[in-house]
Amino acid sequence: MSTQPLDPQTLPDHDNLPDNAYAYCVRLTGPLFMQTGRMIAYYPSGGGTIRFEPLTATSMSSMVASHFSSPLYSRDWVVANGQGHVILGDRGYDINSYDLDDGNLTVRAANLLAFDAGLELKESIIPGFLTLLGTGKFLASSSGPVIFVEPPVRVDPEALVGWADCPAPAQHFDAGWMGHFLGAARGAVLGTRSGEERQYDFTGAGTVLLQSSERMLEDPHVVRRLEGEVRSLGVNQLTHLQGVVNAQLQQHRQ
Amino acid sequence: MGFTKVTSKVVLAEVRPGAEVLARRGAMLATTGQVRFSPVSAGPGGGGYGGGIASALGRAMQGEAVPLMVAEGSGTVHYGFRGHHVTVVELDGSEPMSVEADRLLAHDASMSSSVVFLGQQGGLRGAVRGAVTGQGLFTTQLSGRGSVALLSHGGTFALQVGGSRQVVVDPQAYVAHTGNLRVDVSASVGWRDAVGRGSGEAVQLKVSGQGTVYVQASEEKL
Repeated sequence: MSTQPLDPQTLPDHDNLPDNAYAYCVRLTGPLFMQTGRMIAYYPSGGGTIRFEPLTATSMSSMVASHFSSPLYSRDWVVANGQGHVILGDRGYDINSYDLDDGNLTVRAANLLAFDAGLELKESIIPGFLTLLGTGKFLASSSGPVIFVEPPVRVDPEALVGWADCPAPAQHFDAGWMGHFLGAARGAVLGTRSGEERQYDFTGAGTVLLQSSERMLEDPHVVRRLEGEVRSLGVNQLTHLQGVVNAQLQQHRQ
Repeated sequence: MGFTKVTSKVVLAEVRPGAEVLARRGAMLATTGQVRFSPVSAGPGGGGYGGGIASALGRAMQGEAVPLMVAEGSGTVHYGFRGHHVTVVELDGSEPMSVEADRLLAHDASMSSSVVFLGQQGGLRGAVRGAVTGQGLFTTQLSGRGSVALLSHGGTFALQVGGSRQVVVDPQAYVAHTGNLRVDVSASVGWRDAVGRGSGEAVQLKVSGQGTVYVQASEEKL
């Protein structure tokens, strides 16, 4: 394996670093939306510099507002602007670039690293996923190389990286598990759970992207989303929710 | 039959009536066709899988109790677990494989698995080996013809052992072995280890006999 040091002349313009699936180099040609914490190095060029501006304090607020339609995630993203090379990495995951041509693709929010201003970002109906629309390039990571499968397929929620061109998935519950649930066994009886009760069911035409399952990161957005919904609840519902939370906490302590 | 490697971390299995697959619970990534997953308890209610009550007791008592599920029906299943690397090993049925239960991702349900007391493999030394290396006193043994998918951290490589060739393996890097092998602990614990200034390689597994050892490229436990 070569360990030649890289410089702006030898760095790729839009590709993985040589012999390295875990780092990706982009030469800026316009504004680039990036998730915070994914930049590992950058090379300004032409005597200029690269600015990383938070979405809330950017000089291009109207462009950002029209391309980033997700208040929930706005704190986790920045816009990179200027001239030079930016190198991105993510937890040692494989990084791939995807081209969209007037298309749509939905990807797990934690696995989306960057996208250019040709694309528009929206929140997916499925919590924790983001949808990209339009024409442009984006970068996404996966635990191991991405596997492409065609529907009809059922996928473990943890193994799902994203999907393109097919209808949003439905949640599927294993028939055996449903039987137990309806029979008031509630699946909590020892040894009745296979660990695969809940799956995402994809149908129609399109492509589904898979990875090897990962240890899930604690997603702060789940809590934020729930918080927002709690405000609309009444006293009875809140009391019930409190009971559910307490029962869950009890389980974790055991 | 058998597993097809899709990537370094994912295998694809074809499931048919008569060709079921046993796998660790929660390891299914995706499935097509009509495949049902049901939990396998190795106890009396567990059907024909897993090797009976005695081994169930052994498992429950000795930590060789990784919950399994069986995939039945007809279709395909992708398996993977927490981003660990996967190694597929084909067994021709002539010799069993010994593997730690938590290293086992999936295997053909036609193979029989049993929990073996390490003392049977190497007498008192075997038991000592389990205790010293933190593997416990029991290990899982798979016999029969079929394929096995092993989990490892960083991928595995196979080392041939035979004749006068003897291999010494770090206990944390040991994953599994096939064949007629004798695995002994060789401890060279001196006063330096006692005061925390040892080389970190005081306890080693000495493997001799005829067969293959699978070693992972990392000292991380799963």
